[in-house]
This record gives sequence, C-alpha cells and structure tokens, in this order.
Amino acid sequence: MRVPLSWLAEFVDLDISPEALAERLTLLGMEVKGIERRGDDWRSVVVGELLEVARHPSADRLSLTRVRVDGDVLSIVCGATNIAPGQRVPVALPGAILPGDRRIDVSRIAGETSQGMLCSGDELRLTADADGILILPADAPLGRPLAELYGDVVLDVDVKPNRGDALSVLGLAREVSAATGAPVREPRIEVPESGDETRDHLAVEIADPDLCSRFVGRWVDGLRVGESPLAVQLRLTAAGMRPVSNVVDASNYVMLELGKPIHTFDADAVHGGRIVVRRARPGERIETLDHVERALDEEVLLIADPEGPLGIAGVMGGAGSEVGEETRAVVVESAIFDPVSIRRTAQRYALRSEASLRFEKGQAHGLARLGADRTAQLLAEWAGGRVARGVLDTHPEEPAPVRVAFRPARVARLLGADIESAEMTSLLGRVGVLTEPTGEAPGTLVAVVPPHRRDIAIEADVAEEVARVRGYETLAGRLPATPMPAYRPDPRRRVDELRELLAAQGLSEVVNHALLAPDDHARLGIAADDAATIGVANPVSAAHTQLRRSLLPGLLHALAVNERQRRLDVTFFEVGSTHEWREGRPMERPALAILAAGDWLPGGWAQPPRPADALDLRGLVAWLARRLGLGEPVFAPLDARTGIEHPGRTAAVLLGGGRLGRVGELHPRLLEAFDVRAQRVAHAELDLAALLAAVPARRRVSALDRQPAVERDLAVIVRRETRAGEVEAVIRHAAGELLRELRLFDRYEGAPLAEGEVSLAYRLRLRAAERTLTDDEVDALVAGVVAALAERLEARIRD
Amino acid sequence: MDLEALVARLDALRDRAQQAFAAASSVRELEEAETAFLGRKGEIKSILDGIGGLPGPDRPRLGAAANRVKGELAVALAARREALAGAELETRLAAEAIDPTLPGRELRRGSLHPIVETAREIARIFGQFGFVVYEGPEVETDELNFQLLNIPSDHPSRDLWDTLYVARSGTASDDARYLLRTHTSPGQIRVMRETQPPIRALLPGRCFRHEAVDASHGFEFFQVEGLMVDEATSMADLRGLLDAFAHAMFGADRPTRFRPGYYPFTEPSVAFDIRCVVCEGEGCPACQRTGWMTILGAGMVHPVVLANGGLDPERHQGFAFGMGVDRIAMLRYGITDIRYFLENDLRFLEQL
Repeated sequence: MRVPLSWLAEFVDLDISPEALAERLTLLGMEVKGIERRGDDWRSVVVGELLEVARHPSADRLSLTRVRVDGDVLSIVCGATNIAPGQRVPVALPGAILPGDRRIDVSRIAGETSQGMLCSGDELRLTADADGILILPADAPLGRPLAELYGDVVLDVDVKPNRGDALSVLGLAREVSAATGAPVREPRIEVPESGDETRDHLAVEIADPDLCSRFVGRWVDGLRVGESPLAVQLRLTAAGMRPVSNVVDASNYVMLELGKPIHTFDADAVHGGRIVVRRARPGERIETLDHVERALDEEVLLIADPEGPLGIAGVMGGAGSEVGEETRAVVVESAIFDPVSIRRTAQRYALRSEASLRFEKGQAHGLARLGADRTAQLLAEWAGGRVARGVLDTHPEEPAPVRVAFRPARVARLLGADIESAEMTSLLGRVGVLTEPTGEAPGTLVAVVPPHRRDIAIEADVAEEVARVRGYETLAGRLPATPMPAYRPDPRRRVDELRELLAAQGLSEVVNHALLAPDDHARLGIAADDAATIGVANPVSAAHTQLRRSLLPGLLHALAVNERQRRLDVTFFEVGSTHEWREGRPMERPALAILAAGDWLPGGWAQPPRPADALDLRGLVAWLARRLGLGEPVFAPLDARTGIEHPGRTAAVLLGGGRLGRVGELHPRLLEAFDVRAQRVAHAELDLAALLAAVPARRRVSALDRQPAVERDLAVIVRRETRAGEVEAVIRHAAGELLRELRLFDRYEGAPLAEGEVSLAYRLRLRAAERTLTDDEVDALVAGVVAALAERLEARIRD
Repeated sequence: MDLEALVARLDALRDRAQQAFAAASSVRELEEAETAFLGRKGEIKSILDGIGGLPGPDRPRLGAAANRVKGELAVALAARREALAGAELETRLAAEAIDPTLPGRELRRGSLHPIVETAREIARIFGQFGFVVYEGPEVETDELNFQLLNIPSDHPSRDLWDTLYVARSGTASDDARYLLRTHTSPGQIRVMRETQPPIRALLPGRCFRHEAVDASHGFEFFQVEGLMVDEATSMADLRGLLDAFAHAMFGADRPTRFRPGYYPFTEPSVAFDIRCVVCEGEGCPACQRTGWMTILGAGMVHPVVLANGGLDPERHQGFAFGMGVDRIAMLRYGITDIRYFLENDLRFLEQL
C-alpha cells in the first residue's frame, strides 16, 4: 500500500520525520519498504501564468508563449495544444532539473529562443499525462516552487494478509496513532441529499445471502463527467492509481481512503433500477471492463439486473454498465461479499484487482454504509452530482463486536515478560481494543475488538497486540532454561563425514536443481511421460518440469557449464534426493553421484597428468567404503544401459551381498546429448540409504598379530574372458582364513603368453593367529590354491 | 721366519694399510682395501699363517701383535669410513637440491558447497543449545504444507507462497494433493507428531516456489526450520536464542532487531533483523536504506498448529523459526547473486 503523507495527515497528526515515521511503523509490523519523495527531483520549477499563446512562425506544431513568472516574463516555445492564455502552468526555468536528471536551459527551437519549458504531468512524474501541459488551478500562487505546492512523501507499506483494514489511508492512520499516541480523526461524512428518494429509482434483491451479507446502494444523477480536481489526481497517482474521470476516481479514492471497494454502474444500464445479487447460471456470459468475454457458472457471484449480468461481484464490472463520458446518473454499490468466493473467482479469471484483494481479506460490516456515503459525497463535490435521499441498505443493523477472553498471566507467560494487566488494558486501548472483566473466571479479561480488526480472534492475537503496541524491542531476550530433549543422533553426521572425505580427495561438491527437463530424463531412457516420474503441474520454466530420478543430468549440466569456462578437469560429487511415484505415493531416495572428466591427477612440471577413467572411481568408491567402515566392496559385471553407459566399462558395486550402485564411464553419445566436450567421463551412482545403512554403528578393533606374515606371489594365467573377480573368489575360497590380504599387483597380456591369455599376478599375505606358519604349511596351502584355480578356471601358474 | 720378522711384516702391513685407507676416495674403495688387508684371504691372514713355524712361546706374542695391528687398523678404518660416508652423503644431498621457489606437485583442490556448509553451520550453532536435526520430504501434501499449519484453502495468506503443484497425485482428495514444499514448516507438524516435548528440533531442506529467477530469487532454495516446544518457552527465549545465533553467525557485536511479522502458523509472529552487513547501518541499496536486513521469520507456535501436532495448547507453548539458507550464505560470504548456488561454476565453488 502506497500512502502519501499529505493524505495520511488528514486523519492523524504527523509530527515526526518521514524516516522516523517509517521506522515506527516498521516496528509496529507495518513494514515500510520504501520512502519516495515526490518533487525532490524538481529544481527551479515554479508556477507561471500564460499571457500569450501564438503560432510559431516556422513550425506548425509549436506555439510561442509569453509566461509571467512572479516579476519576469519569459518567452517559451511549447509543443502542446491544450494551452490558452490565462492558464497557470508549471514552468521549468533555465537551469531547472526535472526527474531523470533532465536539465532545462535556454535553447533555440526552430529558430526561436525558449527561456525554459512548460511541463506536462508526466515530465514531472506527477500524473501519467504526457500529451498536454499540466494545467494548474487558477489560484496556484505565481512564482511558487512547485515542490512546495505538490511535493509529497509516499510510504510504501507492506501490509500483511491478515490486516486488510490497513490497506487504507484511514487504517494506516490508526497504526500511526498506535505508534505515536496522536488521536485519529475519523472521517466526517456528510451527504448532501436532495430531490427524489433512492428507493424511487433503485431496488436490490440478494438471492444468495451466503455470498453477500450486505448491499448498500445509492443513486446519484445530474453528473458532469470530467477530470477530478488536480489534488485528487495527484493523490491517486502518488498512491499508484491512474486517474480516469471524476466519477471513477471517486470510487477509487474511497477504496484507498477507507479500504472499501466501491463499484459505480451507469444507471441507464441497470434495467428497471432493479439489482439482483445472485450466482451466475450455467451458460451465462459477460463482457468485463477489460473487454474480455467470460463464461460464467454457479460458482460466480453476479451483480445483475432483470436482463442479465452487470458485473462480477467484487472482481470486475461489466463493459455494458461502464461509466463513460456520457454517463449522467450512477448506481453506487457498496457491498460486503464472501471473501472465499471473491478470492476463488478472482483467481479463476486471473483478475486479482485492488478491489478483490480487499474483499478477500474480509470487510467490516459498517464499511458498506460508510463507503456508499463517502462516494456519494465525492460525486456531489467533484462531478456536481445530485444524491437521492436515503440509502438502500439490505442489512443496516451492526453486528455485536467480537469479544475475546484472555488471561493476562497467560499472555505474560507467552511473551516471557512481566506485564501487569493494567498495562495490557492501556496498550490495547491504543489500538481501539477495550477490555472488560468477564465476571466469571478470575484472572480473565475480555477484549472487545473494534469491527475493523478482524484479525483478533484468540488469546494469542491479544498477546501479539500487547507486544506490538508495547514494542517487541521491549521484550528482553534470555537463553532457555527449560528441560533439554533426549539425545538424538544427527541423521546428517555420516553424510557430512562422507562429503568431507570426498572433498579431501579433491572432489568438488555441487548442488543441482531438483527439477529437470523431460529431455534430461529422456536421455537416460526415461520417457517424457513415464508414469513413475513426478511432474510439476505449473512449472516456472520448460527446463524444470520434472523431479529428478537421477543426479546424473545435473552433474552433466554442471560439467558443461565449467567446460564452457574452459575448465576441463572436473571431479564433482552431489548428495541429493531422487524422486518417483511408488504405488501412488511419492518416494524420495537419497543418492550419491560422482562424476570425473579430464585429468584425475593434475599435470605439472614435476609430473605428467593422468586422465580419469572408470578405475579411478572404482578405487575411490572402494576407498570410501573402507574409510566409512563398510569393508571391501566387490565390483561385478553389470549390463551397461544402452547409449548411456560405456558398454565395456560398467560395473556393479556390491557390498555384503547387496547392491550399492554402479560405477563406470558414460557413453560418448550421452555426453554429446548434454553438450559435454569431454570424450571420457567416469561416473558412479550410489544408493545413499543403502550405503549409510551399512555403516557400522560401532567400530571394533582386533588385537595386532605378533606372528610375522608370509607373502607369496602367484601369477595366474587364465583366458581373457575369465573375470579377475572369479580368480580372486577361487583364491580366497581355497586359501581359507589364513589369507589376510589379497592384492592384484600386475596384469599382463602378450608374449610369451598365448593369444587370448592374460596373467594376473596376486600377492597373498598369509598369517595364523597364534603361531608361525611353517614353510611346508604355506607350500601346501599354495598348492591347494593352484589346484583349485586349475580345476575351477583351467588356470595355470606362470613361473 | 722368526717372530721378529713376522712382527716387522705386521708393522709394515699396518703402515701400508693406513696409507691405503687414507687414499681410498670412496666407501667402496675403502671396503676393497679392508678386504685386501683384513679379509679372510687378506694379508694379515697370510702373515698369521706363518704362526705354525714359530716356537710355542712365540705364538701368543705374534697373536698379541696381530691383535694390536688389527685394533689400530679398525680405528683407522672407522674414522676413514665416517669421513668418506659423510662426504658422500653431503655430495648426494647437494646434488638433490631443488629450487626452493618451484611449486610442488599439484593435488586437486576439492571443495564443499556453501549452501550445505551454511546449513551445517546453522545446525552447529543451534546444536549447542540442544537442537537436534530432523528431516522431512521435498514432496509434501497440501494438508501438511498448508492446512495443518493454519493455512486453509482459499485463505488470503496463501498469497505468501507461490506454490508448485505436482501434476498427478496418488489420491483424488484435496487434502492429499501433492505439492513441492514451499517451506520447511511442515516439519513442525511432523516433529510434534513424532516426538514429545521438550522439543528442540532443526529441519534443514530444499524448498520450491513458483518465482521468476533473478539475483535474489530462485524457484529452488533452501531453508532451516527451528522448533522449540515445552511448557514454558516464551518469546523472550526466542529473542535470546536468535540473538545468540546472529552473534555466532555474523559477529558478537552485531545489533539485532525484533519486530512484528506475520505467518498464519505463529501468533505472535516475528521478523528478525540484523544490522546491515554491507553498510553497518549507514543505509545502502542492500538494506533498502533502512540499515537493517531481515534474516528470518519466527513466532510463537499457533495454538491450532500445536493441536494439529497432537499437543495441548493449554499446556504446551513454544516458538518456531524459519530462515533462508541461501540468504544467510549470501550475507556470510558476500555473495551478490543467488544464481551462483545452483550453477556450480568451479570459479565460484573453489573460492570456498
């Protein structure tokens, strides 16, 4: 809500600077987002009087004017056509500065000297009119700086949704009063009624009282539609509304001043003067003021006449009953509608207006009459209207005020401050809330809430009012002295350990969007309309419409971002959730993904670089498992996803019989699809929940063996198709528990081996727990291993 | 040969051996000389081989003379070995010199993401006051994200959250309509239903809103929710804890401000400001010339929310707060564009 201080000052004295006022309001919960000084950027702009307006000798569209400014008379060239001698206008003197740092000097325009400039409302940012010169009132004092006359300060106040009453100058005046103690001057409205009775012109029927709890109508005729007074136009502009005509401006003015949205219908369009407030019928249509034809149904509340819809209640009027230049009489509608109905309708037609925003927050019953009267008064003042006698009011009786019981002791306990009930009573009084004893429960008072404060309904609301008016800053802070909760292990502890391990290994953690494009999934072989994908109904952008089912696309995008910055050596990891539907419910699974492109080991003067590949990530995953106490993971054959993963370099990561994830390299076609330049990108995708579940709660340490270990090397020759994992499994099985460590230290193909053969050289570390192994024992064990290899894998041993 | 001749040979041998040791220019040459004179087939051995031709009483004398010579040679040998080895070591070390100004072998830098680290720092600070971490899902129901938090359907306060809805939901009913959580606040209900007071809980997580992206807004962002409920926790406790947090995160002497805010799930509601970290209160564009920056929203948990969490509002009271991790991280590190966080440009990540 933008509130000009000149307007605010009509309702409450403002004896402090705008900055101080802004701070007081902010500390009261009415946050001032900005302070705008209108007129601050006008320098040397004064009121002048046009003495002569003559045609420019050489330019048809220009006029030569003589303008009196205080004592001097200036010659000024002007391009506007709305000027005439005798008018008072804003004159930018030579040396003047206008908004936008525009400097005005003596100049020559089409051969004639211009000693300054006549200003339009737009040039001064006073009104939106850029075509004509701003015509000032005839009594504007000559020579006076314009800033003194029309300058204003506008506060931009962030009014919260529960305080619809403060979406008005009067409402904010009440807040100023609460902050400063200055009394509010309630508006005094006197309607100059004359002539006919309203009921002779107008009848109202409410067919759906659940959606309209009050309708106040007035009849004003004899109108002369034209411009509003300049001061009104300036106020409306300052408050952010465009002046239209005196009749339309009157309703907008009342909305801003009192917070009551008003609608005026051209009386000629209201057939028989009969208004019906009813739900629309299926198939009914209306053309709204914005000239859009809209289909209606029973959800929509209408203002109608016997012929059909006149407007959508509380949201937008109909084009057929719009007030125009020819309008001579209007029906003034000031009604109270059901907030939910208005909100739904406004959302449905995407017609959120200043009016609907106020209606949907709820309106005090009494505002309906006040708004109708104030509008009628302004129509009489600004447009010469004749107001018919009396009002048409469907529900004139004022409902009883809301009474909220509260216990001062409980309020004090909630706030954590010793505030006596007498002080509470006095604080509440500053916002118009009166307190009374209940008479029943001792220690309980009743707050009698003024009708505009629809937000005060429970004891906690009373507590907030007490704290708010007293000032939140008066509540002294302290550290809690209440009982502590029981110990609970931090669910992120292991994840953080893992993150730190990976970062220490030189990887960079990334956080990517959880929302991906359907293309991102399609590249992973998940169809755009895959039933398990969770999509967004109203996405912000086409690139982010589906919740990710894999961390891979995000990592590849991040890789591409860095490649575009010529950063080619990239090792990323991300910890994040993946999502999918599972039996009709969303399922969220934590995942860990790693990506490596470019050099794994950076090159330098002292060492050559080494590019990253699948084996680096196998090593990293195994290391991670060891560091987290998971034991030794096993890499097993796994079918690569076609076109996604490298067909020959993809492996499953197994741990204790369960599958932890996959590790390998990505298919060059996938890299191309993600605009990745690198030809070789290694990746690992691990099920984080499974990984964390495997972390032992407690680690145990075994006593160190004092017995020396015996080492034996064994070069096993097998067919190339034989997996190292099989060889290892046979060795482990055959060697039994004396085998403490098994390490592949060499792999060799080529002469003297036969084509298709490979030699895998293992080092076996053998040790018995309680004794020294004898050579014979070791020889026998190795012989057993060799025999098993020969039998199971047709392997032979290289000497 | 008689004893005297043999002793004379020993003495001569000693002199030659000493000369040879002195002449040796390396440990290896020294060892060759040692073998030549003192080895199993060396000269001393050959002299001692003559012992058999000596009369019995002379034999021990020759032995004593040989031991004397051996002892003298051992001393000479050791001294020379020490000298040679020392010189060789020095030569080797000198040859191994590396230009002290050369850089070392490079390691990959590695880095942790500022959003995750900031959330962790927040949890660490509140952890000191007994707060423990809980987690909630990113896909929530309308019921948990809004309704149980005292935000009914068609309530004007829904305008505070521009929601991203899930396209297909598991069930048809409105309550169970799925959405991407707009805040971490549904965690308040989850925690209250999962545990009993005293509660001191923190809920970090990713949130979503239907917002146009600019330097200070994203449609995905991160929050940390806090919840403390027991039988006496008051707004004064909230102020005390938030001050402690602000001082831990932004400096012990940073002024703070407590003012009314609005959230449907707290009453009274609070906005918490710190002195602008850019201008220190002078007034600048970063703080909209107010000298203050709002870093979080908070308030006393609304009785309706307590009841929805299964607690008794007459008995239990406490506060909740929620802060944007992105915003805290931006203020903490001086980051001016929120888009950096999800771009993952290493030029950004490797500064932290």
